[in-house]
Amino acid sequence: MIESPSILLDGNPVPYRPGETLLEVATRAGQDIPTLCHDPRLEPMGSCRTCLVEIEGWPRLAPSCATLAEPDMQVTTANPRIQRHRRLLFSLYLADHPTEHEACEDGAPCELHHLAHRHNADPNWPHMEPLRADRPGDRNPYVEFRADRCILCARCTRYCDEVEGVNAITLTGRGSETTISTSDQISLMDSSCELCGGCIAVCPTGAMAEKMPLVAGAPPERELQKVRTTCNYCGVGCQLDLNVDPSADEGRGRIVKVTSPPPGTITGDGNLCVKGRFAYDFVHHPDRLTTPLVRQPDGSLAEATWEEAIARAAAGLMGVRERHGSDALGFVSSSRCTGEENYLIQKLARAVFGTNNVHSCAAT
Amino acid sequence: MSSQEEPSTPSPTPIRAEIPDALLEAGGLKPGASRAVSSQTGIPEADIFGVGSFFHLLAEPHIKVRICQGLSCQMAGSDKLLQQAKATGLPAAGCSCLAACDRPVAALRDRTILPDLTGTDLERAGGDWKSLQSEALGTSENWKGVVGPADTPTEQLVIDLSSDTDFSGHALSRAQELGPDGVIEAIETSGLQGRGGAGFPAGFKWKAVRSEARTPRYLVLNADEGEPGTFKDREVLLRRPDRVVEGLLVAARTVGAQAIYCYLRGEFGGPWRALETAFDRFEQAGLCDGISWHLHAGHGAYICGEETALLEALEGKRGMPRLKPPFPTQVGLWGQPTLIHNVETIACVPEIVLRGGEWFDNLGRTGPGTKLYCVSGDVEQPGTYELPLGISLDDLLQVAGGMRGTLKAFSPGGASSGFLPASERHRPLDFQSLKEVDTMLGSAGVVVLNKQADLAQAVRAQLEFFAQESCGQCAPCRIGTRFQARNLETLLASTRAGTTREQIQEVAWEMNEGSICGLGQIASLPLTSALRWFPEIFEP
Ligand SMILES: Cc1cc2nc3c(=O)[nH]c(=O)nc-3n(C[C@H](O)[C@H](O)[C@H](O)COP(=O)(O)O)c2cc1C
Ligand code: SF4
Ligand code: SF4
Ligand code: SF4
Ligand code: FES
Ligand code: FES
Repeated sequence: MIESPSILLDGNPVPYRPGETLLEVATRAGQDIPTLCHDPRLEPMGSCRTCLVEIEGWPRLAPSCATLAEPDMQVTTANPRIQRHRRLLFSLYLADHPTEHEACEDGAPCELHHLAHRHNADPNWPHMEPLRADRPGDRNPYVEFRADRCILCARCTRYCDEVEGVNAITLTGRGSETTISTSDQISLMDSSCELCGGCIAVCPTGAMAEKMPLVAGAPPERELQKVRTTCNYCGVGCQLDLNVDPSADEGRGRIVKVTSPPPGTITGDGNLCVKGRFAYDFVHHPDRLTTPLVRQPDGSLAEATWEEAIARAAAGLMGVRERHGSDALGFVSSSRCTGEENYLIQKLARAVFGTNNVHSCAAT
Repeated sequence: MSSQEEPSTPSPTPIRAEIPDALLEAGGLKPGASRAVSSQTGIPEADIFGVGSFFHLLAEPHIKVRICQGLSCQMAGSDKLLQQAKATGLPAAGCSCLAACDRPVAALRDRTILPDLTGTDLERAGGDWKSLQSEALGTSENWKGVVGPADTPTEQLVIDLSSDTDFSGHALSRAQELGPDGVIEAIETSGLQGRGGAGFPAGFKWKAVRSEARTPRYLVLNADEGEPGTFKDREVLLRRPDRVVEGLLVAARTVGAQAIYCYLRGEFGGPWRALETAFDRFEQAGLCDGISWHLHAGHGAYICGEETALLEALEGKRGMPRLKPPFPTQVGLWGQPTLIHNVETIACVPEIVLRGGEWFDNLGRTGPGTKLYCVSGDVEQPGTYELPLGISLDDLLQVAGGMRGTLKAFSPGGASSGFLPASERHRPLDFQSLKEVDTMLGSAGVVVLNKQADLAQAVRAQLEFFAQESCGQCAPCRIGTRFQARNLETLLASTRAGTTREQIQEVAWEMNEGSICGLGQIASLPLTSALRWFPEIFEP
């Protein structure tokens, strides 16, 4: 057996698989290294500089997110030099960011504020008005960019390129005027954007934010209840978190946004599409059916239980088969159905009703 | 090319490399331009916009006149000229050093550098940018600076700026006799250190690239000269393009590079023509066989002089430096092994090959070789002087006609070297000796300031320069450069001076530790060196 290589992490030997970054090895070993530009779905950029570690024999601190483990590397993740670096780096970040932690978190939690606090940053350094341009007047209904909060980690642009393959947004300008923009600052609606909202999901600061809850004045995310569920728009079955404002609608609660669970924790890897992320308002729509309805002899619809409704449908189907034969029936399953549900419907068609007339609308 | 040397990786994506030029052709980043280039190239529109917006000469097509706000030009009154230009209705803005600090005030009309610009010139243009001329220049666009010293025997000169060009290809023949190992040995013996700023031993890089198994390998010429106070590469390209091209051909053959890419700053029209002509001459003589050469223009971004930002720009991306390691010798242009050199470094190669490494080594005073020192500011004869490596400021001033006024401070090597006091005038201007006082030789762009000079304004100019030219990708530099510029104002207004001083040192430490590239790492030096050597300018 070949012995797996290892690094010396803060003095302890830790094995690694070739191709792993120092951040991955250290995280697996339980070390808590701060990161801002890192996302496991993206190629490392190494630009936020929060994850720097010391490597024996290297003159400069190295970004652990972008440095591959090598045999017998001696890596230090915390010492006075690194702690000083983190404290000063986060102090600089805060000088260029809304200073009030709570006010900054009107939407999603701000990873920057959390990390800055944890690493003893000085929040009282003179504040500089950011020079980053917003994209005012973008008429898209879902995504709001608030440049004052942006730390230019480029998670959004890289996500849009590398995961969505859409390239709708880009780092723009340079120096302290660098910002996130579409081509010519056009509305996302006029760009290649698919409104997947992934840029919002990856943003560590709430600079890229959901427009609807902001417009509606919904409470900040930290006051919302997260309810894990499965998106019912299609058979992919992405997991998502409904974010419920528990006090809304006289205490009945109201979904005010949808977030994606962290990558690596679920199928779908935290990715959603425009429907899963933004098309949740049907849930509270007055026209929405909430119980089965059964047609009455006079043509009106009356509320019924599931048992009644299913019995009624079954009786109807059986009647057609008796009068016209099995092949008078056809079954079409919804594209929202999962593979298992599609299996069941063909089972129903073939084994119960005895017809091969079965189809899924997702097949087209 | 033998079949073994076929690219072992997917071929490069030249279409992306053409983005900046395509935008230039479209008249700059006007509304709709990225979409048009996108439909020509198939590259996403936003990517094109991101690239174009990085380069000032593309991003602001409406600005037709730029007046240098570099230190040497400011000392000659360029800030007032800029105000005047705007007042006369010219579509004008300031810009960073134009590598013409020996002929201040330097200005840019579209992409043409106009040296020695005066208020009278601006008046004469009468608000029409197309008719802006520098009277000192006349209608010619070919101009050169002063070079010297005049009386040095040729055997003691490596680049020899004032001699005639020589396209005989003697050095190439000699290199062929020596073979690649012999050439590398000569370069190593010479002790030649990179002239682009870092002073890294050239032989080491040649060996590294040659020993890489992967092909193709590339050779890149760094002619993006932009360090404030530096204009030597301009003179080398204008006067001895033969040395540059022959040096490139020797290097390419030695390390096994089949393609040479030259990246010239976009304002270098004259040097471009000179280099192109020299390539043509060598090509006609059959000396370029098997090697392709390409010239690329920059579009206004100092950071693209940093070697990995330069590679990104060559590939048609935003000029943001890459993480190192890996170094370009391993993973360079399009991911392939790449040798990158500064113009002056490459121009040293032919004579080293012809006369031997020891000859070169012995030329220097405290380090190997001669060095092109640029001197500007309060000096009688600003210009480019080829002198033994390790001469002192006094020696330099002597060949440059002496000071104007009494010496107060000087920058030994561009904005990146901060300031030194007059008491350091005897210190050898070499890579090692300057390190001892926490500064560097850098590009040897020496700027001298006399007692009348406003040192606080000089510090401000340098800090503004770094804030303007930071690529913006990493926080210590993007935020730190701006923060230090602001701290300077706080100090000068002497409010909160105590905490501000402390903060300046802390931020300087963090910028050095945390920044990705050399720009951010040293960008506090103008301020911290002023605090160290000239504390009186911050006294209330
Ligand atoms: C911010 C920055 C700007 C630079 N600008 C230049 C430049 O304009 N020209 C140059 O030759 N090298 C420049 N360099 C140095 C290059 O990164 C690199 O070291 C050099 O091109 C290598 O060539 P050499 O070994 O011949 O010096 C710069 C470095 C930094 C960090
Ligand atoms: S919503 Fe999706 S497609 Fe649109 S910009 Fe954001 S990540 Fe890109
Ligand atoms: S918008 Fe968010 S994800 Fe995008 S660069 Fe700014 S902080 Fe990062
Ligand atoms: S140090 Fe400055 S110039 Fe260099 S990569 Fe960072 S932001 Fe860009
Ligand atoms: S997380 Fe490593 S540099 Fe940003
Ligand atoms: S050209 Fe103006 S300072 Fe260099």
